[in-house]
Amino acid sequence: MGVIRSLRLPVLLIVGFFFLGNDLKAQSTYKKRVLETIEVDILTSLYTQEGDNAAVTGGIGTEKLLDFTPTIVISIPLNADDVLTIDAGISAYSSASSSNVNPFDGNGDADAFVESSGASGADVLTSALINYSHSSNDRNTILNGKLSISSEYDYFSFGIGSGITKLFNEKNTEVTLSVNAYFDSWSLIYPIELRNNRYRSATYAPSFTGFNGSARNSYSVGLLIAQILGVNLQGSFSLDLVLQDGLLSTPFQRVYFSDAVDNFVDNFHLADDIERLPNSRFKVAGGTRLNYYISEVFILRTFYRYYQDDWGISSNTAQIELPISIGDNFTLYPSYRFYNQTKADHFAAYNQHLSTDEFYTSDYDLSTFKANQIGFGINYTDLFTDFRIGPIGLKSIDARINRYERDSGLSSLIFMLGTKFIIDY
Amino acid sequence: MIKRLLFGIFVIAISSNCVVLKEYEKVNINDKDMVLGQAQIDRFQGNAQAYREAAAGANGGKTGGGCGCN
Repeated sequence: MGVIRSLRLPVLLIVGFFFLGNDLKAQSTYKKRVLETIEVDILTSLYTQEGDNAAVTGGIGTEKLLDFTPTIVISIPLNADDVLTIDAGISAYSSASSSNVNPFDGNGDADAFVESSGASGADVLTSALINYSHSSNDRNTILNGKLSISSEYDYFSFGIGSGITKLFNEKNTEVTLSVNAYFDSWSLIYPIELRNNRYRSATYAPSFTGFNGSARNSYSVGLLIAQILGVNLQGSFSLDLVLQDGLLSTPFQRVYFSDAVDNFVDNFHLADDIERLPNSRFKVAGGTRLNYYISEVFILRTFYRYYQDDWGISSNTAQIELPISIGDNFTLYPSYRFYNQTKADHFAAYNQHLSTDEFYTSDYDLSTFKANQIGFGINYTDLFTDFRIGPIGLKSIDARINRYERDSGLSSLIFMLGTKFIIDY
Repeated sequence: MIKRLLFGIFVIAISSNCVVLKEYEKVNINDKDMVLGQAQIDRFQGNAQAYREAAAGANGGKTGGGCGCN
C-alpha cells in the first residue's frame, strides 16, 4: 500500500501531462520546434581511486578502484512540442575493497590492504532512463515524466519521476517542481566469514543475524527558482527534500568492536558484525548558483550548497568555474571545488565501536572530512556543424579532467569525454 | 539551516522584481556557459561524488536512491 500511495503523485502528474499535451495539439499553429534535430551524445569517463580506509574491511584496507562508463544519450523531437530522451549506459568497475568480501582466495595471505581475486572484485552496472517532455504553445509551461532502471549483481533499482516548469515575467523567472521515487533492492551478500562456519573457532563465534528486508525506497521533492538578475547576471535557488527508508546499510561492510576479541586469519581481521544503520534518513539540501557574464572571453560560474540530514551530517559545497573563450570554437574550463562534512552520529574508525551500540558504521564516506578538487576542461563547438558524414553532423566535443583529494587520504582522478552529434531527418 | 534557506528564497524573490529583460537583451544570458546547471559531461563527476560524499541534491544530479550509494 505504501508503494502505491507513494506512486500516486508522479502518476497523476504524468497522466495530467498527456492530457494537456493532447489539448494543446488541437490548437496547433506554426511555431519554432523545441528541438530542431535529433541529438546524440556519446559520453564516457574513466575513474581511478586510491585510499586506505575501505568500508568493506571496517575502515582500514585498500580502496583502489577503476571504473569505465560508456554512455549514450539520444534526444528525439517527436513534434514541435515533445521530446523523447533515451539515456543508457554501463559502468564497468573493478574494486579492491569489494574483492575483500571474500579475501581468502588462496593466492597468498589474506590482507585488507591486498586485493583478492574473488568474483566480487568486478561488476557491471547497467542503467537506462527514458524521459518525455512536453512544452506548451507559448513555451511557458514544460511538463516531463521519466522512468529509470539500473541493475548490478547485488543491487536493482526502479525509478519514476515527473516535473513541471513554469516561466513567468517574460521568461525572466523560471520555477520548477519535481518529484522522484526510487524503489531499490539489495541482494544480501555478507562477508564470507559471517556466512561460512569454517572460520568459526573457540574464540571466533560472532552472534551474527542478517537483515530482515532488502528493499530501499527513496522519495524526493525538488523546487528550483531561476531568475535573470541583469543583462549579464542570472542566479537560481534549489531545494531538495529526500526521505529514504528500508535497508540503508550495505550488507558486506564489516565492523569491528573494541570490546571483542580480535580474530585473524592470515593478516585479515575477521568481522565482528556488519554495518548497521537506521532504516530511515531525511535529507535537506539547499543550493544556489550565480553566473556572471564578465566579457566575451570570461564567464564566472559559482555554486554553493548546504546539506543536512537526521543522521547528524551537515555539509558545505562551494564550486567556482571560469569558462574562457578562445576564438569562436574553443572554450577552456578551469575549476575548483571545496567540500566538507561532519560525521554521521553512528560513525567510528576501525575497531572503535562498542558491541552494545545499536547502530554502527566505519564507512569513511560518513566520516568528518574536507575535500578539494581542481579541474580543467576544453570544449570545441562547431556552430554550423561543418564536419558532416551524410545526415550526421558533429556539434561539439568536451574533455574534462578532475583531481579530487580528501584530507583523510582518499584521492581520485576522473577523465571525461563527450561528443555531441546532430542528425538531420 | 532554515534561516539560510529562507535567506536564499528571499534574495531570489527580491531580485525577481528588479529586472525584466526583453528577448533581444538576453544575448549574454543565452550564452551556452551561462546555463544554470551542470554540464552534461560533468554527470560522471557528480555520480562519483554521490558515492564518496554524504551530501547530495540541490545541484540537478542525484539526490539519493537509484544506486547502492548515497
